[in-house]
Amino acid sequence: MSPTKNYDRVAKTFDYFRKGDMRRWGRSQKEHFSQMHGRVLHIGVGTGMEIINFPPDLDITGIDLSAKMIERALWRGKRYPGKFRFCLMNAEFLAFPDDTFDTVVTVCVFCTVPHPVAGLKECRRVLKPGGKLLMFEHVLSKNPIYGLSLKFMSIFTAALEGTHLDRNTVENVREAGFKFIAEKNVYLDIVKTIAGTK
Amino acid sequence: MNFKIIDPLIGAGSGAIIAFTVSQIIPANWNMFLAMAAGGGIGMILKFVFLLLLAPFFGAFEVMIPLSIIAMSVGMLSGMASTNGSVTDGCISVTGGLVGLAVSVVVYFSNKNLTHPQ
Repeated sequence: MSPTKNYDRVAKTFDYFRKGDMRRWGRSQKEHFSQMHGRVLHIGVGTGMEIINFPPDLDITGIDLSAKMIERALWRGKRYPGKFRFCLMNAEFLAFPDDTFDTVVTVCVFCTVPHPVAGLKECRRVLKPGGKLLMFEHVLSKNPIYGLSLKFMSIFTAALEGTHLDRNTVENVREAGFKFIAEKNVYLDIVKTIAGTK
Repeated sequence: MNFKIIDPLIGAGSGAIIAFTVSQIIPANWNMFLAMAAGGGIGMILKFVFLLLLAPFFGAFEVMIPLSIIAMSVGMLSGMASTNGSVTDGCISVTGGLVGLAVSVVVYFSNKNLTHPQ
């Protein structure tokens, strides 16, 4: 199943399955996203659950592959105390000129993008020089016990919803050409905040 | 929501339920190693059920990581114990609960160490 069809399919239940994560991660997201500034690109906006954790008065463009997801995010975008617009777009082929945004934000997106380094290179392209990439992602643990659990579960999540639990996103960020990469653990060494500069 | 209390309760509860279920399914006359493997398998199946029920309320990774360890270890342990005629189902369930609680505590301190390094 294509990622678009897959996310259209899960749009109805997406909020229900993510609400536990939002309870756990709300504070960490607020702290990490306080670095957002200027024109912002939010990649993989989904149903917009994270919008509540963004600082106010920003000019944000949220993109997603799934029209059904965006439909469900609209009301959250309207309630955001700043500018929020939505675009139907693939993270690997961003329809924005080079050096457009001051900040690019992602939340649990690069576990799903089929070619993560290509997607991250696109993020880098649309960022202005000195612009910031702020990611809130889950990665493969370095602990062998946790890592084994993630690799095992990844077989099922990749097949069912295209989510890979065994990616090394920090290394992918480096490979995409970002500088001054900072990472901070949110849950074990699996859920992390990652920041990089163009 | 106080996850410091909820997480160990989930660990103990899921450990006890997995242990009890395995003890009800595995016959006492099975070979111990076969029972251990089957117990581990049953534990892993139950893990998916618990994950589906609990993750929406308590977070996917925070439920999945301890539960993966609990399901496998408690399942195997309970499978082996089921073949020992002198161990009661109640004793197997309590042991499963204690193992679940212990795993939750270990994961809690591991998380504390990784998120707030000294």
